[in-house]
Amino acid sequence: MTERKSPTAVLREGPRALSDAQVREIEDSSLEEVLHVDIDDVIEYVHKDLRSLPDFTTLYRKYLKQRWDVYDLDFSQDKIDWQEKMTEEERQSFIAVASGFHHGERQVEIELPVFMIGASEEEKLHIAAQIEDEARHTVFFDRFYREVVGLKGDDIMDILDASFPWVSETFVAPFGLLAYQADELRLHPYDERARVRYGTNYFLWIEGVLALSVMKVTLSYARWRGFLPAYYTGFTATCRDESRHVQGGMRYLQDAVRKDPTMISEIHDTLRTILSVSGVVSRRIYYEPLGWTDDEVRVLFFQQLRRKLNDVGIGLSPDLEELLQKVQPVLAGG
Amino acid sequence: MVAAEFFSKEWADAVRDALTAGPDERARAVKLQEYWDFFDWLKSVYPASWALGCRDLPGASAAYLFVQWDGGTVTDCRIIGPDDPPPTSPALFNATYVLGMDYRDWKALHDGYDAQRTVMYRKITLEQGDLLEFFKAIYFFVESLAVIGAVPAAYA
Repeated sequence: MTERKSPTAVLREGPRALSDAQVREIEDSSLEEVLHVDIDDVIEYVHKDLRSLPDFTTLYRKYLKQRWDVYDLDFSQDKIDWQEKMTEEERQSFIAVASGFHHGERQVEIELPVFMIGASEEEKLHIAAQIEDEARHTVFFDRFYREVVGLKGDDIMDILDASFPWVSETFVAPFGLLAYQADELRLHPYDERARVRYGTNYFLWIEGVLALSVMKVTLSYARWRGFLPAYYTGFTATCRDESRHVQGGMRYLQDAVRKDPTMISEIHDTLRTILSVSGVVSRRIYYEPLGWTDDEVRVLFFQQLRRKLNDVGIGLSPDLEELLQKVQPVLAGG
Repeated sequence: MVAAEFFSKEWADAVRDALTAGPDERARAVKLQEYWDFFDWLKSVYPASWALGCRDLPGASAAYLFVQWDGGTVTDCRIIGPDDPPPTSPALFNATYVLGMDYRDWKALHDGYDAQRTVMYRKITLEQGDLLEFFKAIYFFVESLAVIGAVPAAYA
């Protein structure tokens, strides 16, 4: 394990190259060993292959090697940390962030199958693996909320109902859009333009920007404080899974634009909608107990967006640049 | 006071008044002012119309609640169908967005089911209209859906 940095250090560090040893540690770690992997390295690893994206068969083979069993995690120490070591402010901040994931993982699990219909045979393998990953991530949060937070329920939906009060009203923008885009694909599964719009929201924005940013907030807190080892292990393994999803998604978008350059307008139109509703929040999430400020989290979002777009060679139109400037906070002292 | 029958003219009139008034103080109190500023701005410039369908109105076929917005107020709010079926209704097909929901989900919304999840779980779906344009005003739509759900109504 490398030296423990402050949670927000990565905002100032910028992109960096991983050593071969770091890449091997991320790729080859068993579930138990994932506890010792630095979350910042895993997020950096997501970008490692974006300039020369792996093909879908390679991603599927990585999945077979990196698949983990969510029932191998032991949350008993996490329960002690949650009840006895974390403050009430830390618990409330943590749960406000984690609840977005609890519901987000469920959404990306159930909205993905329709995207498979119009995919190439190789991509179907990757998507099938991704659906299984997302189902496992859904179970991971179900276990965390039951065994650590202490929510009660007879089934998965009971626990989702119990954590929903922590979900922000603005959650509906990306995830409601995804549900409706999935409905559009259900009716027109081979509509390539609809698939690109769906891919922009799902793979670029939800997974590439929102998920990776918010993952970092709770994981860097857990690592920084030395709390919640099963959460850190399972969610860092989740982040490694997400790296394959983001790489596969970026591969899909890059191929679509190379095949038909006019597809860039579908990406831009989708981002225009997403960014036009992303500058507003409905409730204040107090990230401070986790070592972050609200503006730092949003800066992280836009850093992630710009890196993905730059790495896969997708430019922004002037009006989108302007929109991005408008919604992107300036990081004080950054 | 007896609640108006769901999807009746009286209910549509009450919906019009409730939408024009917007979310009440209790709803506003639990969300940030910046969210409501955005909502109020969207409402003031929203030029579109909705046809909100009930696909299986008891004893009838599908019917729609037509809502026209202009200048921050509802300028037209009425029921289309079930005696005025959609294919012969120019107003319905002039609606910017046509959405549909089953009767049981309308009732669940009225009984307090969350409007955000009504969208996310596709209990209400977009049947016609530009999806990306629709989502630019999604907070306005969801809050308005909650307002409609809260209007007293008698269900079968």
